[in-house]
Amino acid sequence: MAWAIGANDAANSMSTAVGAKAITPKQAVIIAGLLEFTGAYFFGKSVTETIRKGILDPTMITDPMVLVYGSVAALLAATIWLIVATKFGLPVSTTHSIIGGIAGYGIVYAGTAIVNWGKMGQVVLSWILSPIVGAIMAYFIFKAFTKSIFERKDPVRSARIWSPFWIGLAFVVIGTMFYIKVLHGKDLKTGVLMYGVPLGIVVFVVTYLLIKLRFPSSDPFIGVEAIFRKAQVLTSGYVALAHGANDVANAIGPVAAVYAVATMGLGGMQVPVPKWILAMGGLGIAIGVATYGYRVMETVGKKITELTNTRGFTIDFSAATVVLAASWLGLPISTTHTVVGAVIGIGLARGVKAINKDIVRDIIISWFVTVPVAGLISAAIFKLLMIVG
Amino acid sequence: MQVWTKLFAKSPFKPLIKHADVVLNTVETLEKALQAWYACDYEGMREFAIEVDHLEDVADRIKEEIRDSLSSKLMMAVAREDVIIYLHMQDKVADAAEDTAKWLLVKKPDCVPTEAKDIILEMGMESIKAAKLVHEAIVQMDRVIESGFTEGEIEREYEIIRQIESVENKIDGLDTKLMQLVFENADSMSWGDGFYILNIARTLSNISDKAKDAAERIRLMMNK
Repeated sequence: MAWAIGANDAANSMSTAVGAKAITPKQAVIIAGLLEFTGAYFFGKSVTETIRKGILDPTMITDPMVLVYGSVAALLAATIWLIVATKFGLPVSTTHSIIGGIAGYGIVYAGTAIVNWGKMGQVVLSWILSPIVGAIMAYFIFKAFTKSIFERKDPVRSARIWSPFWIGLAFVVIGTMFYIKVLHGKDLKTGVLMYGVPLGIVVFVVTYLLIKLRFPSSDPFIGVEAIFRKAQVLTSGYVALAHGANDVANAIGPVAAVYAVATMGLGGMQVPVPKWILAMGGLGIAIGVATYGYRVMETVGKKITELTNTRGFTIDFSAATVVLAASWLGLPISTTHTVVGAVIGIGLARGVKAINKDIVRDIIISWFVTVPVAGLISAAIFKLLMIVG
Repeated sequence: MQVWTKLFAKSPFKPLIKHADVVLNTVETLEKALQAWYACDYEGMREFAIEVDHLEDVADRIKEEIRDSLSSKLMMAVAREDVIIYLHMQDKVADAAEDTAKWLLVKKPDCVPTEAKDIILEMGMESIKAAKLVHEAIVQMDRVIESGFTEGEIEREYEIIRQIESVENKIDGLDTKLMQLVFENADSMSWGDGFYILNIARTLSNISDKAKDAAERIRLMMNK
């Protein structure tokens, strides 16, 4: 499962950078592999627990073996669906798949009452909201971007001032999330003031000085794109990190449930997710990126010619912020759909020349199809395992 | 999940610029034909006129390709209808150049009074300006989108549109002048000669007319 996430989904995290030619597919694979692992290992804890415990009512699972078989069924179902969907080029979410899988075996075992519908509703709402929020954020960031740089009387001068500001702002978010997810801080205000803002200021000053020393061009368009080409490497890395943190849960959530049964002999107990499980998930994703993700990146690098560096930066910045905010709230959301939402947001701001409406429609359909399909496959596997076991 | 490769549709703007390149080339070749016509070099004129016809065919093919790719399945920064009508008008510029070339071929030019020839040659030169400006306008439109529709870039686009309108006005004036000239010399000119001159003038002024229509469509693209 982790491999499948890395092979297909993780590649998307660096796609904007590869598509806008900020980095080569090879560099993207190395950066994504390392950062997905880092994100999964350091950032992945709380989201993992939400998925593992939130969807089903653990008190209704009296036989620990049900949890083991169910988790295996959910994992297999999600992986099968992911591989099948990928083969047909369907943009499905790994998060949707695993949640469908978990709900599927739960319903077969104890009926619909076992599913925590409140939680499920919250999760479904987050799937719908994440692309919308991604789109809104990207729309406004892109508009603000345009107003602060390109619409000024002296765009070159504005670019010198505002580019470090935007890059600095991206690091305010990164710094804050580092405090919350890595250092397990609880207070958002402390995170912003003690980590986010100082890091943002440092990055602002460094970027400002670097640009002052050597601005790439007298043409604001070329100059700004050149600045953001470099910044995009960082923001894409940020997306990879966020993706690792958020999506590792899909692979190792059920594993953690099995581990709890194996070590404690009970299902649904609140046990911390061991670091080695997170490492395993992170490693799986990294291997997926390295072995298959390369091909995806290469295709993206060759095919996307409509994406500029400023657009890529805006997409990354918006999507990563939404994903990490969701991760902080403990909501399992789809990175791909948030990114797609951000692309549409820029499209609505008239920043992208042409978007394929059919693909957008397919994505929306896939949100609604994935959960039931993964649920059905999982239910079938679970039944089989119960009979055989 | 290779959603990225499918999400971005092929933008029509680069192909539109490619089409404008061919349109400009067509009008430039027509200007060469007019110069040969002015110098009474019928054979030279013929070669250029045939080349104009060939280039118009190339423009037509590109136009068809763009139309085929402009499905309603695209979400674009500008209205699809505006792009299609713009393309139609841009193509009409090449059509008008081809029409002029056809008229040039129908008879040898030695009977045309020098004064009329001067005006026609000037109209030809102004037509090139119009075609160049249409080319510039579509390149600038690409830049307008690239900048996220910033006011500065939109103003630059408006300036090009204003220039196209001014060229069209100038050609209209020359067209009227030529008509007056033909009717003033009606006694010394055969019906056929007058008809020939006036049709060259009409097709030449069509070039700037269509350029103006194309510019008008670009104005609408920005106003969405």
